Amino acid sequence: MQQSQRRSLEFVLDNLVWFMLLAVLAIFSAAVPSYFQPGIFANIIEQSSVLGVMSIGLALVIIAGHMDLSVESVAALSAMATGILFASSGIGMGITFTPGWLVVPASLLIGIVVGGLIGALNGYLVVKVKMNAFIVTLSSFIWVRGLVVATSGGRSAQNLADEVRFLAIQRFLGIPLTAYIAILCFVGFSFMMAKTRLGRHLLMIGGNEAAAFRAGIKVDKVLMIAFILSGAIAALAGWLLAIRTSGATANLGAGMLFNAFAAVVIGGVSLKGGLGALPGVYAGVLLLSSINTAINLMGLPAHYTQVIHGLLVLAAVLLDTLKQTIRKQLA
Amino acid sequence: MKHLLRYGLVLLAGTAGFLHPAYAQEKGAVYYMVPTLLDEFQTGSVSALEMFLEQVGYDLTTLNADNKTDLQQSQMNDVIALAPKAIILAAVDFNALAPSVDAARQAGIPVIQFDRQISSTVSDFTSVAGTVEIGYVAADEVERLLTEKNGSVKGKVLQVLGDPGDPYTLDIQKGFEERMAAFPEVTIISQPAMMWEASNAGTIVSDQLLANPDIDIVFSHAAHLSVAAVASLEAAGKQPGDVYVMSSNGAPVALQLIRDGWMQVEVEQPLYAQAAAVAMFMDKIVAGEEIAPGEYDVLGLPSVVSVEEWGPTIKIPGAAITAENVDNPAFWGNLKPPADPITPVE
Repeated sequence: MQQSQRRSLEFVLDNLVWFMLLAVLAIFSAAVPSYFQPGIFANIIEQSSVLGVMSIGLALVIIAGHMDLSVESVAALSAMATGILFASSGIGMGITFTPGWLVVPASLLIGIVVGGLIGALNGYLVVKVKMNAFIVTLSSFIWVRGLVVATSGGRSAQNLADEVRFLAIQRFLGIPLTAYIAILCFVGFSFMMAKTRLGRHLLMIGGNEAAAFRAGIKVDKVLMIAFILSGAIAALAGWLLAIRTSGATANLGAGMLFNAFAAVVIGGVSLKGGLGALPGVYAGVLLLSSINTAINLMGLPAHYTQVIHGLLVLAAVLLDTLKQTIRKQLA
Repeated sequence: MKHLLRYGLVLLAGTAGFLHPAYAQEKGAVYYMVPTLLDEFQTGSVSALEMFLEQVGYDLTTLNADNKTDLQQSQMNDVIALAPKAIILAAVDFNALAPSVDAARQAGIPVIQFDRQISSTVSDFTSVAGTVEIGYVAADEVERLLTEKNGSVKGKVLQVLGDPGDPYTLDIQKGFEERMAAFPEVTIISQPAMMWEASNAGTIVSDQLLANPDIDIVFSHAAHLSVAAVASLEAAGKQPGDVYVMSSNGAPVALQLIRDGWMQVEVEQPLYAQAAAVAMFMDKIVAGEEIAPGEYDVLGLPSVVSVEEWGPTIKIPGAAITAENVDNPAFWGNLKPPADPITPVE
């Protein structure tokens, strides 16, 4: 194979998930009535915000060679905290500030602190107590969701303050501001992964923890940061979720963990750690949202949507596996 | 050490006393198998049943199945071993729980179906509003709303189901579509909100608004789904009344949406009356006495007991809540439980 052909092939493989996304968008645009319109593409970007942000935190921990199953429940707790404190109906306490816009940083800060604390607890148990990350975060997945149900009593909070809802309603270039928050997160954390020492250390630890330790990297500290970031980012996702639905219910966000995992894997992050980039994860999230939107528009019988969703995700992962095989043959 | 042991024993005895007979009601324990605590109707049912059963002398313990059929089956097995006075079951899966109902009854424990009717086996009592009937009431309201909006029964309805694996939502869909079949000029688009999760409902609404901008009514199968639906309508620049919104179960969030002008109709499940009916007949059920068919007054609602193949059943009519009657304290969504204690049926 010539050098130029090889470079082209590697470019395609490196960005396969983006090509898959383009192909899926083209197919759905041609096959699904009403799919090809700017509003639908704006919807896909908007619907990707919560899952996208959640996937960033999950990807960071997975790249570092660990696992965080608690992200969905942490997001739900953050959403419920936002709902209870700042929504005005249901169980919402309707706390307000003067000036009113202060509710935005206040609610965000509370959510992120809650998420960061849970992330710190996860990190402490994994890093310091040397417990298995899968078990620790599975436990957090359960008890944090339980805390959501307990604090809400199973009831809902609704009607978030207009100053917060503004972020979901106000659009710039046809896309809600919440989507820009997600995009900013991807840009910021992609930069962190590619250009900062922390990002490089996360990749190195995920690739070979012992070698990273021997190279002088403070493995425990970096892993601790990864878990805290994962919790805080999941809380940010929950905050966006509460804004999107104007409140919180006890089952808000249920099922998102599996979609976040699917997005991370489709996006090219290795579950073994040490491999992956966040732009690919964003493409994975957009791909899932595109599929979801197509299913919504196709008007398929309710019973089959889960089957189709699962099979399409499987197809995407199979393509990704094919990519890995080709890459090995090239090496 | 002796002191420590003594204090320990006192603490243990105190804890045991707190957990058991000290506040147990005189007629014995009843178990309520709630399908989930993730929606307001179910959490409301726990407190309503507790309140009404306490009034007639029973102590209620609730077990949550987290919407898992196998977990509810295990819970049934465990509770049967405890030999309570009765089991109140709101089944996660109507058919899968039938063998557990049979096992309880064979062990001499009466089983009461609450809110979710099991017709494939015999139970000692059933108290329902009727999920299919909720679909009928919703269809009648859609007929009224479309006539009001479009001059005749024609238009487009987006039906947001709950999880497609939940027979509860499928029954509402069945009733709704059965009744709506009489109106061929009405297009019904049905989409499931997986796991009854609100943001899924919001996504469906925002997508469908683009694909079908002429949607007249969004009908969600639970009030909490309507909250997200309304958030999506608002984000799409809609004003209250541009697209009619309705849902079912009568939760407080829906009543608030009606007050805010976003929602036109909420089909209420008469939670208080359903729970009160169970308590009113509990003595008869526990004693194994015959429950006579006929009309009974349950918290002011005329309710009919009939003896069906699956046992005596009380059906309490669901009501349509609108802006005109939203403040009626009889609606459980207003969270004003009846002040007067109920009287057991003699």
